[in-house]
Amino acid sequence: MSSLGTVHKYTAVFRQQWPQTSGNLVIGLTLALVTLPQAVAFSVTLAGVPPHFGIYAAIWGVLFCAMLNPSRVFHGGPNTAMSASIGVTLLPVAAPFGAEYMGYALTLCLMAGMIQMLFYLIRPLGRMLDLISEPVINGLICGIGLFLIFKSLTTFGGLPVNTQVEWPLWIAWHSFLAVLEIGQLHAIEVGLITLATCAILQQFQRLRNWAILIGITAGTLYSEYLDATLGAQNTLIEKIGNLSSIGLVSPSLPLFNQESMPDVIAIIPGAVTLALLGLFQTVAAMRRMNRKAGGFTDSRKAIFSDAVSNCLLPFLSSLPTCASFNRMWLVHRLGSQSRLAIISSAIWLLLLVLFLARLIAIIPMPAMAAVIMLLGANMINWEDIKPHFRDRRETAVFLVSFLSVLFLDLFGAVIVGSILAISYSKWAQAHPNISLRGNVLKIRGNIYYASLPVIESIYHSAIQREGRVTIDVSDCYYIDQEGIRWLAAAKRGQKADFADRRTSQSRREAERRTGGDETRLPGRRRSKPDRRKRTEF
Amino acid sequence: MTASTWKFLKIALLLVVLGSLYFLATLMQRDRHQIRETPVVLTPNCAEKLARHGLVADKHYQSPYVFQQTGQRVKTRGYTDEDIRAIQRGCNIIDDTQGEMAREPGRERWYATRFIRGNQVSCDHCHQGVGDKQDAAGNRLKGSLGLGASWVMADMYDRFTGLLLPFELRQMQCYINSSNGYKPNIADDVVRDVTAYTRFLSAALGLKIGNNYVEQGVDEIPASDTPKQGDDYVRGEALYKAKCASCHGPQGLGLVVDGRVIAPAVAGPNAWNKQSRNYFYYVSTILPGFICRNMPLGQENTLTNQECRDIGFFISNLPRPAGDLQGPLVALQQQVLMRVMPALMRLMESHRQDGAGSAVAPADRVPVAGR
Repeated sequence: MSSLGTVHKYTAVFRQQWPQTSGNLVIGLTLALVTLPQAVAFSVTLAGVPPHFGIYAAIWGVLFCAMLNPSRVFHGGPNTAMSASIGVTLLPVAAPFGAEYMGYALTLCLMAGMIQMLFYLIRPLGRMLDLISEPVINGLICGIGLFLIFKSLTTFGGLPVNTQVEWPLWIAWHSFLAVLEIGQLHAIEVGLITLATCAILQQFQRLRNWAILIGITAGTLYSEYLDATLGAQNTLIEKIGNLSSIGLVSPSLPLFNQESMPDVIAIIPGAVTLALLGLFQTVAAMRRMNRKAGGFTDSRKAIFSDAVSNCLLPFLSSLPTCASFNRMWLVHRLGSQSRLAIISSAIWLLLLVLFLARLIAIIPMPAMAAVIMLLGANMINWEDIKPHFRDRRETAVFLVSFLSVLFLDLFGAVIVGSILAISYSKWAQAHPNISLRGNVLKIRGNIYYASLPVIESIYHSAIQREGRVTIDVSDCYYIDQEGIRWLAAAKRGQKADFADRRTSQSRREAERRTGGDETRLPGRRRSKPDRRKRTEF
Repeated sequence: MTASTWKFLKIALLLVVLGSLYFLATLMQRDRHQIRETPVVLTPNCAEKLARHGLVADKHYQSPYVFQQTGQRVKTRGYTDEDIRAIQRGCNIIDDTQGEMAREPGRERWYATRFIRGNQVSCDHCHQGVGDKQDAAGNRLKGSLGLGASWVMADMYDRFTGLLLPFELRQMQCYINSSNGYKPNIADDVVRDVTAYTRFLSAALGLKIGNNYVEQGVDEIPASDTPKQGDDYVRGEALYKAKCASCHGPQGLGLVVDGRVIAPAVAGPNAWNKQSRNYFYYVSTILPGFICRNMPLGQENTLTNQECRDIGFFISNLPRPAGDLQGPLVALQQQVLMRVMPALMRLMESHRQDGAGSAVAPADRVPVAGR
């Protein structure tokens, strides 16, 4: 009787949870269908390895990341920039699709994973990744979104993909013209039907989760109709192709032997780039999605999950993994409630590849390209980037990062954008708000090595005019060692008095907020907080 | 405006944009189809070349060249009218890539200049004799980059990158590096027509797939084929001034008269880029080989191997565009150099000539290219 009660209890819980679970499973299926063409395209056209590399990354990479990373929107798997980086690094070393090339690709991935592990183990290294500001991240997202649209143009028009690395904007323009002038009209029709169906259904809240699935189905049905009426030899619409040779797992070993050592050493800089590319995107995507989803997951956990995954994946014939902006964006947009959606996406993909390979094989590539273009367009969200245009500096950082993706590359964009953001931040800190009323010199801001020249020039002109000056540090919130030495020298010069107008309570509050790091004075020790309350010079 | 109206407007706008793009595509494709159907106006060189090779629409093709060389009448698969128009367009693109002789350059040359930076580059600057350079006796010339011979190399492994390169991708290398331009899509008509012409040339010359021929590629000159004096800039400069500057200009910027390219640029913005295999620092054997076998025009094979390497070394030290893979900093450096150096050199030359007074004959003043 009691066992029947337990069954009833679990059935009730299951019924209660089912709507949410089924929602997550649908999201997982949508994700699997979105990831599949990306996995095939990234591995074949960007990385120069067979399609199963990308598919295994979309299965095992996603699964490992979902297990190791507690975020409910984190979606790993194959990545555009990382795949392209593999192609660029290995191009001078071996011939793509060859056994040696694949061995080097796995070696490169393993080295990148080990470098990422260093970023996890050495905490300051990991913290360095946090120097990427929000305008930089948004610039990257918009740039990648546009890049995805450009990249999909030729497939959308049923044309071969240009594989060589060139200036993306020119590729985009030439690809656009090529689609108009020489694109396969039937392929364009399939792509347009998919694109229009998805975009229209996305406008309706109730159909949003199903938009991509229905869009792909509509495109596939139209493509099958064309093939049936005109003949496949006349329509020439490229399909995903047969994936039935792919199994549950495909063990592999990275290439490490005496002969390959010179080449392995030659690709170490490529491995560093690959590792940083992955980590930058992962940390940036985590921060971005944390804010979007309203939660917080420590980015160190994402670094750990990436590092472990990338150390394991080379043994499973897989491309490296990192956070995917567009798929995480999709997870968020679809309203995923738990990691079940992510895990189910990997399992769905595995099941699809294992059991429905023949059905997947007929999905037309233009329909897949249309979905990727839609995802790219969704990544450029005016509501997200509008706040950056209210401040001149943020506008500059955003635009520079955005344009750098298009003119340089992803890595270059991160570096250029971050340097600009840090420069602006340091510039602002180096110009504290200083006011001189009578003989009171009030400093609002930081007293540190870069702001001292500004402060000293006003201080000396005040001394010349007034003879004696009172330096008011009530609104100072940081003084570095050089600042302390200058204050001490000013005191020794006997021409300056010092004032700290904060109340004892406000100082205590400030100290509690900052952990006692605020306005530490020469010779003061942290172990004597009661003496620090009176800021004496 | 209500939310549903706004939603409806967004959907309508999306459909209008997508529909317009589809309509535009159908219009442009119809235009291209019409061009394919239109009879081709051949350049004089192409008219002479194709007539000599006996290109006519028939069920079978018999090459006059093969008959002349071997005395055998070999029948191969013939050409349709459509094939012939493709071959003719391909020949025109090789002979006159910039469309200087065309009434509608864009349409007649498939907008080939879209994939080329600068206004001087033409395929036959390297692939001379419209890709089929022969002497008076009809012998194909060594190292003349014959296009027919290039076709029969088929899908070759590139010895520099190890990549398997089909013929179409080898054309891409020309567009990206030798023309310092952009890669057309592999399915573009410009690629298809040039391929059709090169296939025809291989049939017309009786060349067989997989065989080696003297005109295949460049007769490369490695340092080991010289007296090993080292590649010398000063010797190269003197030789360049004596042998090359009268056509290519004192700074290698080419010679353009009335909008027609008389001699192409070998340096500066209209020349091949630093990623091209013509660039001495990338591959040191190809440019000297080309110079020795093909330059100066009418006096081919008169320069020694060492002289060719010296000239190649000098030319490669002149500023030229960076390749796409060399990054923005190198590109910026080269852009600055290409703008600053010619002006500086002209200033120095004029100063030197002023100093020398009337000792310099007017004939030595080489016209500077540009338009």
